[in-house]
Amino acid sequence: MIRIGLRDAKSHMRRFVMSIIAIALGVAFVVGSFCFGEMLDSQIDSMMASNSDADVYVSSSVVKTDDDGEPSGTADDGKVQYEDIDPDVAGTLEEIDGVSSAKVFYNYMGAVLVKKDGTAVNGGGAPTLLLGIDAQQPWRAAKLTDGHWPENDREIALHAGAADQSGLKVGDTATLVLPDGPEQFKVVGTFDTDAAQMGASLVAISPALARQLAVETNHTDKVGTIGVYGDEHTPLDAKAQEALAGKIRAALGSTEQVKVETGEQARADDAKSTKEQLGFIQPLIMVFAVIALFVGSFIIANTFTMIVRDSMRGYALLRSVGASPAQVFLTVVVQAVLLGVVGSVIGVLLGWGLLELIAQGMNQMGYALSGSAAPSTMDVVWGVVIGIAVSVLGASIPARTAATAPPIQAMNETVNPEKPVRTRGAIGIAMMVFGALAWWLAYGLATGDGKPTPWDAVNGMDSVIPMALGAVCLVIGVIVAGPALVGPAGKILGWVPDHVFPVTGRLASRNLARAKRRTANTAAALFVGIAIVSCLGVIAGSVKASLNDVVDTGMDADYAVRSASMTTALQDKAVKEMEQVKGIEASATLRQMYGVTVGGKDVPAAITQPALLTTIAPPQVQDGNAAKALEDGQLVVGQSLADKYGWKLGQRLELKATTTDIDEAATAKAQEAYQRQVEEQAGKLQAEARQLALAGDADGARSKVAQAQQVVEDAQHVDPQSLVKTKEVTRSEQVTVGAIVEDYLYVDCVLVNQQLANKVSDTSWQMLDQLYIKAAPGTDLETLRKDLEKIAKPYYTIAVMDKDEFKSSMASMVDQVLAIIYALLALSIVIAIFGIVNTLALNVSERTKEIGLLRAVGTSNGQVRGMLAIESVILSVYGTVLGIVVGTFAGVVLCAVYADQGISKIAVPWGQLLLFLALAILVGLVASVSPARRAIKEPVLDAVRSE
Amino acid sequence: MAKSAKQNMRQHGTSDPVVARASDLCKRYGSGENEVVALDHIDVEFRRGQLTAIMGPSGSGKSTLMHCMAGLDTPTSGTVDVEGLEVSSMNQKQLTRLRRKEIGFIFQSFNLVPTLDAEENILLPLQIAKRPIDRDWFRKIVRVVGLENRLDHRPSQLSGGQQQRVACARAMMQRPSVIFADEPTGNLDSRSSREVLGFLKQSVREYGQSIVMVTHDPRAASFADRVLVLADGRITHDMEHPSYESILEVFAGEDDVTVDEILDPAAGTGERSSQGKGARA
Repeated sequence: MIRIGLRDAKSHMRRFVMSIIAIALGVAFVVGSFCFGEMLDSQIDSMMASNSDADVYVSSSVVKTDDDGEPSGTADDGKVQYEDIDPDVAGTLEEIDGVSSAKVFYNYMGAVLVKKDGTAVNGGGAPTLLLGIDAQQPWRAAKLTDGHWPENDREIALHAGAADQSGLKVGDTATLVLPDGPEQFKVVGTFDTDAAQMGASLVAISPALARQLAVETNHTDKVGTIGVYGDEHTPLDAKAQEALAGKIRAALGSTEQVKVETGEQARADDAKSTKEQLGFIQPLIMVFAVIALFVGSFIIANTFTMIVRDSMRGYALLRSVGASPAQVFLTVVVQAVLLGVVGSVIGVLLGWGLLELIAQGMNQMGYALSGSAAPSTMDVVWGVVIGIAVSVLGASIPARTAATAPPIQAMNETVNPEKPVRTRGAIGIAMMVFGALAWWLAYGLATGDGKPTPWDAVNGMDSVIPMALGAVCLVIGVIVAGPALVGPAGKILGWVPDHVFPVTGRLASRNLARAKRRTANTAAALFVGIAIVSCLGVIAGSVKASLNDVVDTGMDADYAVRSASMTTALQDKAVKEMEQVKGIEASATLRQMYGVTVGGKDVPAAITQPALLTTIAPPQVQDGNAAKALEDGQLVVGQSLADKYGWKLGQRLELKATTTDIDEAATAKAQEAYQRQVEEQAGKLQAEARQLALAGDADGARSKVAQAQQVVEDAQHVDPQSLVKTKEVTRSEQVTVGAIVEDYLYVDCVLVNQQLANKVSDTSWQMLDQLYIKAAPGTDLETLRKDLEKIAKPYYTIAVMDKDEFKSSMASMVDQVLAIIYALLALSIVIAIFGIVNTLALNVSERTKEIGLLRAVGTSNGQVRGMLAIESVILSVYGTVLGIVVGTFAGVVLCAVYADQGISKIAVPWGQLLLFLALAILVGLVASVSPARRAIKEPVLDAVRSE
Repeated sequence: MAKSAKQNMRQHGTSDPVVARASDLCKRYGSGENEVVALDHIDVEFRRGQLTAIMGPSGSGKSTLMHCMAGLDTPTSGTVDVEGLEVSSMNQKQLTRLRRKEIGFIFQSFNLVPTLDAEENILLPLQIAKRPIDRDWFRKIVRVVGLENRLDHRPSQLSGGQQQRVACARAMMQRPSVIFADEPTGNLDSRSSREVLGFLKQSVREYGQSIVMVTHDPRAASFADRVLVLADGRITHDMEHPSYESILEVFAGEDDVTVDEILDPAAGTGERSSQGKGARA
């Protein structure tokens, strides 16, 4: 029987092509999803191994708390954050037996490396990372490939990736844009690491400079962790790491509040959290894998239905010569297994190839990955198992039909009535109604007065619960009710073609209702894909519209100036020059304050000038006079913050800032200690020299003296900055809430003026973020722009943006999300086309006779094509419309539920939805081409004669 | 045939006593050793306003002849013309036009589109051709076939005889030059057969419709004005207004198997068994 099945499979190979493609696609997604996850994991692991290569990490064990005494940060991700550790601990650690070195690695992320051609490396993309490395303080995982490590503040060494991207090499002069503006450095070396750095440009600078930059930005010399090496050259194994950690714990005892972790542990923790951040990608691919496999299984079901129908006589003959139903079943299933194997093997290769392509693409874009894209044995096994399972599942119902058919039966087209779909319809519609009610509830809870129902228990519910419940019920409901909806939907959607093409249109719309389950299944694939994409589209559109709205209604500035990377500060000098440019009516800056709490709450606070509130971005709605309040040194509070914390106009709140100042006493002590250490060392060397001299070793004595002199000289070269000690200072001020502003650019932050800010913090704790400029009437905007850009040019990273550019810069994240959405859309459309083509092919093969009859009574080839095209278009539009409706409502409800996260305006991207619809029509037309060709190719006579 | 001659004939179409003609028609299947001659140099004319029956045992070529006449099959050599139009050399577009204007079909089974009700099925050819519907004619036909109360029924709600009557009405509706009927009563019981044949005869009598009908049933053939008998691809008999008995006589001379087949169609073997009722059992 198996041999008969295999022979059948061989003769059906052409029909199997589509099924194989579907299975291959599905399996490719599954394997791709697994592999992508593994590739990322291995990339992250290898990066961790290179970048956090210490044998033991020591960090503070003091839990960070906010004013309420609660551990801060726990609300967001449930992780406890620890205070930073004092770098002095490193000195203590170095004295412990077994510790070769304990280093505080300072690094700085805000810099920009300028390429040889004068443009910034990766502007706005992956960061440039400055690392403090020199010969005394090397990075164990990095290997010098050329030149040497930086020896002073004016020398740098470049990572291979950074050298590649910038085109700089040893001996070149490089420009780094630092907080105070661009500075020239000499490239003295290049180095490499085992792991690619995912596009980040690593630059080694002298540790002293790194420390200085880090202290300037972090406002403390404390760091998260201190890395301890047990050996300068070879990493310790896990056992040795554990031993070393034990020694350190024992040595530090309970005197220091520290946490000692082995390198392995720390890396595993870090890798885990990074993986969690990137973890959303894999499930997303999985969703599409499931859609592909779903479509695949019913493409297979359709294909086998066709095959079984064609071979019914053969099966009947087999049965009549004594084959058991199980044996007939086997002949069909064995074909499905074969199909599954071929499809999944192709799929595994396809998935692998796809991933290699992605890796290549990322490499091209400057995000080099060192993880391997090759699927593991488990991936391959899973892929093949899933592929076979789906094929067998798809083939099992047709196979049962074949097996249970009476020994003598000829299939007849008219004797295949479908089982009624009413029950499914009722259950599905009930679920849809329930889901819609849940969404209505969620929407009601999130908007208006939040009391959509008369029941308090229901009103008190978190709106996320009914939203999620509604989504699940609606999507499943639509799929369950699908077959029952096909009839009415065919009538509604068929109305237009029915009237435009009286006969073909009517035939097409009625044909769809003949195999309701098949039609509904075909449409379901499109439905799910389009629903996801529409929902994300609404969210993205709303976010964008909210941003645009804010800028359009609230911003009168002609130009906004900010750093191109958005993360680094503007240079004060540049801003001052810009404000002097001719033709400016008003300008205002925004400075973000760090370490500030207002009324005990950790809220964003910014420093600005009254001009912002009067001319540049006057608030639409305000309680009190915002500009005057600011001028008077009162607080201007955003509406959503006021709502959140119940702050009222006129209320007095404590403005508290924690900053670090130079701890004069500690600094003096540190300098003194260093001085003493140097003197001690010099004295010791001189004493040794004296001894040697007494012993008659003049050469030895001379060299010892030279060494002593060297020590003293080195000490003079030591940057006094590195000996500066800081301490935390907290200052606070009672301030009145002078105004509350609404629909305003800064609806969720607190604004203060410079004088007030300076009472609690100092300028190093205030980051100059943005400059807004409004041109005086009659000024030529282009000239003004040119003047501003002339000032910006030498800083490389300052971007002068007009209103539209400012909007799009704020929405650039959203655009990236939209790009991903469109990629997903393309995938789901490709899959859907396969589904539609296959369903139509099955329809055509079932209706061979009917089409022959139609042609015999005068239907032209064009009309047959038209009929199938209309059928196909209605099918795809049906799925798309369902998807658009459900997806759009999902998006609206989601936006309403998350309105307090900045989605102030719900915007349905009608244009985009119309585009989906147009695309659906196109998809339908394309999908109908091949089945129509097959229908026409059949000679009329054969069609009429066939059974 | 020259184009001008064709047009000339078309103009005098209605006065030409011949509605369709086959000249030196040959149809061979396969090649070499396996060659089967289905039609062997046949010359035949079908007269206007007549019901012509084509009879013959299985494999005699009767169906092939009709398929070639109707443009469903292309002859190996020779020509076919209908109303002066050369069918045998037409391309798909011309064939479609021919089917819309000149030719009506009635098949043995599966004559109706299952998604359309009886009225829609009857009007289908006109609507496909985007031709105006003559309501009076429609009412007349529906009355004749006795389907007044069944017009909104789908084919699945109609009996076999009713379905065939709808098919007849559909063929008549477009007033084609000639209707080709392929075993129109092959699937019907004797009462329904009589009804359908009666209707065909009536349409010839009263409306001057020309019909060519392939049948294996001598009783059905006895309704015809003229009966052609084929054997091995040649016309062996050409009878005007034969009686049932005279038809039986012709077949009595043939070998026994065919006589059996003729007398009891349900026991038929060969090509028909796959189409006949027996296959559904």
